[in-house]
Amino acid sequence: MSFVNFKKKEVQFKLVYYGPGLCGKTTNLQVIHRLINPEARGDLTSIATAGERTLFFDFMPLVANAIEGFQTRFQLYTVPGQVMYNLTRRMVLRGVDGVVFVADSQWSKMSENVESFANLEENLRLQSETLQTLPHVLQYNKRDLPDVAPVHFMEFMLNNGAVRQSSFPAVATTGEGVFEALNMVARLVLHKFMTVHNRKEEGACELALV
Amino acid sequence: MAQILHEKDSVRLRKVLVQLLARSESDDCLLCDSGGHVLALEGASKHDPFLISALGAGIFGASRELARMLGENEFSAVLHQGEHRSIFLRAVDADTLLVMIFSRSANVGLVKLYSTPAVDDLRQILADIQHGPSVPGPEDSRPFVLSPDAQLFSLRKE
Repeated sequence: MSFVNFKKKEVQFKLVYYGPGLCGKTTNLQVIHRLINPEARGDLTSIATAGERTLFFDFMPLVANAIEGFQTRFQLYTVPGQVMYNLTRRMVLRGVDGVVFVADSQWSKMSENVESFANLEENLRLQSETLQTLPHVLQYNKRDLPDVAPVHFMEFMLNNGAVRQSSFPAVATTGEGVFEALNMVARLVLHKFMTVHNRKEEGACELALV
Repeated sequence: MAQILHEKDSVRLRKVLVQLLARSESDDCLLCDSGGHVLALEGASKHDPFLISALGAGIFGASRELARMLGENEFSAVLHQGEHRSIFLRAVDADTLLVMIFSRSANVGLVKLYSTPAVDDLRQILADIQHGPSVPGPEDSRPFVLSPDAQLFSLRKE
């Protein structure tokens, strides 16, 4: 959940990149770190195994000029994709404001995509959250590889809810589709924050740390 | 829903951290939530508080799972002791964590000792915030507005 500090004039949001192992979550953050305006980002920190697989999470803070009079911070996290690290994924998801679900477009990875998406829904449910209300987008990564499923098939598999979410074909290694997904999820998060907070302000001001 | 910290609550939290910093001779005291958000911060070091908060929340979440495996409710505190600097993490409540960074000139016993009343005070303030009446200042109750020149994230200029 977002955090507002009126004294520091700061709003913090948490974005999580989710998806199956080796789908390109860490690559998304690495490319953002490499290509974004350096003043807008902090260091990229990765806690990985010797084999460069994410063990704990990757973390990178970004700053945007989004809300008048406030510094707006987006804290970007990835989760470890490997199935055995589910407790870590739950931990990283705590207090999430928005999700980029990174799917691997290769046919051979389709069942892992579906499994990971179901795992995301289940882990959100455990913290009383649901994708129906949580801002999220889908990124269909690795479109440059041979033997990838058509986008409409991936939509059928992963984006088949009552409300169609924004989705982005991507080649994360080159940056294609990376900033599009990031900007869209950030906009959705901001829109939800404005809607919820300003509606509350119209009524009674509720002070809450929950 | 957003966690909202109004100015008067920030001042109360800060007062506790300032006192703790002085008594324990620590370099930094930081209050964060289990989601990795920084709630309050005091200290003069150059460490990135957002990274400390993210990693601290991760460490504490992992230690909580270890505690659960061993049949404990939680490990209420975690100490990582280095040659030159150490870090002490202590649960304030189920969702909030106090992080203290101190050098070897500080006494780890004092850090632990003084963290106890500070945690009690912080817990009380957080409970007041959660359950108490809402009295935001006039500045605090204005609606949020998107910046007219709002820029999100763009590629660096070559």
